[in-house]
Amino acid sequence: MASCYGQFACNIVQAKLGSSNTTPMKPMRVISLALRSPNETTKHETFTSNNIVITKKSLTKTLLEAEERESAGKGKFGKYGGRYVPETLITCLNKLEAELNLVLHDPEFQAELSTALRDYVGRETPLYFAQRLTNHYKNDYGQGPEIYLKREDLNHGGAHKINNAIAQVMLARRMGRKSVVAATGAGQHGVATAAACAKLSLECTIFMGSRDMERQPSNVVLMNLLGAQVKCIDGSFKDATSEAIRSWVGNLETSYYLAGTAVGPHPCPTMVREFQAIIGKETRKQAMEKWGGKPDVLVACVGTGSNALGLFHEFLRDEDVRLIGVEAAGASIDDGRHSATLARGDVGVYHGAMSYLLQDEEGQILGAHSIGVGLEYPGVSPELSFLKDIGRAEFYTVTDQEALDAYRRLCRLEGIFPALEASHALAFLEKLCPTLPHGTKVVVNCSGRGDKDAATVFEKTTAGLANHKTKST
Amino acid sequence: MAVASNSTTLPKSYRSSFNTPTQLPSGFLKFTPRPTAAKRSSSITCAIAMEEDKKSEPAVHLRPDSFGRFGKFGGKYVPETLMYALTELETAFRSLAEDHEFKKELDGILKDYVGRESPLYFAERLTEHYKRSNGEGPHIYLKREDLNHTGAHKINNAVAQALLAKRLGKKRIIAETGAGQHGVATATVCARFGLQCVIYMGAQDMERQSLNVFRMRLLGAEVRAVHSGTATLKDATSEAIRDWVTNVESTHYILGSVAGPHPYPMMVREFHAVIGKETRKQALEKWGGKPDILVACVGGGSNAMGLFHEFVDDEEVRLIGVEAAGFGLDSGRHAATLTKGEVGVLHGAMSYLLQDEDGQIVEPHSISAGLDYPGVGPEHSFLKDIGRAEYYSCTDEEALEAFMRLSRLEGIIPALETSHALAYLEKLCPTLANGTRVVLNCSGRGDKDVQTAIKYLQV
Repeated sequence: MASCYGQFACNIVQAKLGSSNTTPMKPMRVISLALRSPNETTKHETFTSNNIVITKKSLTKTLLEAEERESAGKGKFGKYGGRYVPETLITCLNKLEAELNLVLHDPEFQAELSTALRDYVGRETPLYFAQRLTNHYKNDYGQGPEIYLKREDLNHGGAHKINNAIAQVMLARRMGRKSVVAATGAGQHGVATAAACAKLSLECTIFMGSRDMERQPSNVVLMNLLGAQVKCIDGSFKDATSEAIRSWVGNLETSYYLAGTAVGPHPCPTMVREFQAIIGKETRKQAMEKWGGKPDVLVACVGTGSNALGLFHEFLRDEDVRLIGVEAAGASIDDGRHSATLARGDVGVYHGAMSYLLQDEEGQILGAHSIGVGLEYPGVSPELSFLKDIGRAEFYTVTDQEALDAYRRLCRLEGIFPALEASHALAFLEKLCPTLPHGTKVVVNCSGRGDKDAATVFEKTTAGLANHKTKST
Repeated sequence: MAVASNSTTLPKSYRSSFNTPTQLPSGFLKFTPRPTAAKRSSSITCAIAMEEDKKSEPAVHLRPDSFGRFGKFGGKYVPETLMYALTELETAFRSLAEDHEFKKELDGILKDYVGRESPLYFAERLTEHYKRSNGEGPHIYLKREDLNHTGAHKINNAVAQALLAKRLGKKRIIAETGAGQHGVATATVCARFGLQCVIYMGAQDMERQSLNVFRMRLLGAEVRAVHSGTATLKDATSEAIRDWVTNVESTHYILGSVAGPHPYPMMVREFHAVIGKETRKQALEKWGGKPDILVACVGGGSNAMGLFHEFVDDEEVRLIGVEAAGFGLDSGRHAATLTKGEVGVLHGAMSYLLQDEDGQIVEPHSISAGLDYPGVGPEHSFLKDIGRAEYYSCTDEEALEAFMRLSRLEGIIPALETSHALAYLEKLCPTLANGTRVVLNCSGRGDKDVQTAIKYLQV
C-alpha cells in the first residue's frame, strides 16, 4: 500500500526568461510512509535549464492529491480510513455516499444550508483578535505572535458540532428518514443533533455513556428539553457509539445514524469534514480582510478531529500554514490515563475505520481519560492519522491541569469561557508562543463555550483550595 | 425634604406637574447648560414640554427632553453629589455619539467580540403552530439576541459603557445584579478591557446563584454581598448607588437597564438600539418592508427599548411589551409594573412602580430573575401613557409552556424572560390577519434556566 506514494508527480514546466539559476537535478526518491519522520520538511525544488524553469510539485501536495483521489473512491487517506463494517451496512453506506455527493453539488440544498447556517446557527463566526492574550505572550522586548480566536463558541448550541448536525439532519430528511440516532461524548453533539431534529421535526434518540452523563448533566437536561430521548449506556463515548451503531443497524430504512465526528466508516469522516470545512473557509476570507494574508499557524484541540479538520482542511495545500493539533494528556501522559491517540497510539481498526488508536498489547481498546470530556476517545480521525504520517500536521499534548489554567486565563484576560476541550488548544500556546517570531499570526479554534464546564472548574478549584489549606495547616 | 435615591417614593396623591415639583428643595433645580451638539430629534432639546394632549406629535420627539424626562417620567432624583457625575456622563456620551473613532471601535467589538449582527430568524415550525384551520396566520420571526456572547442582549450595553468608561479615564467599574446575568456581562467586559470590577449582589441571591458568583470571580470581578433589606436586587442597587456616590471620580456605574437617573435610560437605550436598527435592515432584505408587530419581554425594559426605539416613529408598527404576571395579577405576587403599578420615584427616576398604600416598594415575584424588578424604565411608562406601546402580562405557567414550546418546535431554548414574550403569542396570533409579520426579541438563551424549569415542571 505504501508503494503507490513512492513516486514524484508530474512536473509542471514553465517558461521563464532571463533566469540564470542552475541547480543539479536530484535523484528520484522512493518514500515509504512508515519510515517517514514527521519532522522532515518537504522541499520545493526548482531547477532551470536554459531559459526554462521547471517547477516540481512538492511532495506534500503530491501526497495530498493522491489521497484525495483515493478517498473519493474508497474512503482511504493513505492507508487509513476505509470501511471495516459488516456486509449489511455496505449498501446503506453506499446510499449515504451517493446522497452526500449529490448534496455537495446541489445549489438548492446548499442555499437552504447557507440560510440555516446564517439564521439558525448564527454564522459567520467572528475571527477575534485577542488583544490581552496577545499581550500576555509578549516577551520583555514587547515582541510576540498575534493571537486570533475563531469563535465557534458563539454558534447556536455553543460549539462547532451544529455545523455538521444541521447539514446531516437536512440530508436525513432529504433521504426520507423519520428518525435520527446519534452518540455523544460531552453532550455537545447530542444537543446540536437534538436541536436540529426539533427544528426539522425528526425524532431523535441520543446514546450517552453513564460516566459522561454524570460529568455533563446539564447537557442531558438540554437534550430532553429539546425533545430527544436520551439513552444511558454503561461506560463512555466509545460504548455509546457502539450501541448507537447497533441500534441503527436494526432500523436501516427509517433511521439515520448521525456521525458527530470525523471517525467511522467511509463516507462519515469525509462527510463530517466537508460540513465542518466552513470554519476554515470563513477563516481564509476573514484573514484576508483583516491583514491581507493567510494565518501562519492554526491550532485546534483534537479528540476525534472534527473541529481541527474543519479549520485545517481549507489550508492543507498552503504549506506555509503550520497545522497544530493538541490532544489530551489527561492527568499525565505517562500514567496511561490520557487520550493522546496520535502521540501514543498504534494503528488498528475501530468503529469501521483504520486509524491510530489506544490499544493494549492484545489489541483491546483502552479507555481514554481527560478533563475535557469531548476529547475522551481512544481513536482519532483517519484523515488526521494520514496528515501526521506525511508530516503535514504536528500533534502535541497538554495535561488536565494545563487545560484548567488555560480556561482560567482566557476568562480573566478576554472574558471568554472556553470549553475545556478548546482549553487544551489554548494551553499549548504557553509552549508555542515563545518559539514564534514577532508578528506571527496564530489562529486558535475556540471550538466551544465553557458554560457547561463551570461546575467542573468550580469543583477542581475548591478541591484545590481545600488541598492547599490542609497542606499549609 | 430630600428625595433620596433609594427606595422611598412620593405619596400616592402626588400629581407630577411637568414644571417645578414644589416638594423638592431648590438645590435640585440647578443644572449646567449643555452644549447643543444633538442632531437627532429624539435626544435632548432645550424646550420644556408642557402638559399636553397625549396624542400630539411633538411629545414623541422629546425622548427625553433637556431635564431627562419622557413626558412626566424619568428625571434625576439623586443626591447632589451625583449630579456632577451624571452631567459629566451625559456630556461624554453626547460627544462620543458623534465620534467616528469611538463608533468604529464599538462596531468592531460588537462584531468580533459579541458576534453581531444577530440573525433575524424565520421560525417556520412556530409559524405553522399558529396557523388556523384555514391555513392562515401570521409569520413569526425571532431576533436572535440569544446568540450574542454571554447569551443575552445585556452585553451590547455593557460593552459600550465599558468603552465609554475607558474614554472617561475611569479605572473602576461597579454594577448591581440580581440573578447574576448582568453581573456576568459586566465582569466579562471588565476582563476584556482590563478594568477593575466590583459587583453588588444580594446575599440571598448569592446563595441561590453560587455558580454565577463563581463565574464572576473567574472573570476577575469582586462580588460583594449585600445584607441590608431583603438582601435582593433592589438592595444591591441601592448599595451600588451608595458606592458610586463615594467613589464618583474613579468609578463608573454600569446600570443594566433603561431605568435609573438621566442619562442612563437614554444611554442604555441608545446602546441597545442596534437591535432595532439591524431588524429594520434585515426586514427590508427579507421581505422588502417593515415588521408589522414587535414583541418583547419587559423587566427593566432594555431589550424592548432596544428593539422598539428604531420604530417608535413608524406609527404603523405595533409595539407590544410583555411583563411578568408571576402567580397571576390578582395574587399580588407578580412583577407587572405597567399593568398594576402606580407612579412614583425609584432609583433616581420617576416611573410606574409596584408600591403599597404607604408608598413602600412591594417585593415582586417572577419565575424569571430578569423580570423580577418592581420598577420599569421611564420611557416605557411614557410610551404606555401616550398609547404608543401596549403592555400585557403572562404568568409563570404560561412562560414555562412557551419555554417548552420553542425548545420542541425550533430547537432553541429561550431564556425564561424571553418566554414571557413567546407566551403572549398564544393570545396575539389568533387576532392577526394572514401574513402579518411579527418580530419577537429572543433576548436570551435558556441554558441558565433549565434547572428552574425542571424543578417547576416536576412539581
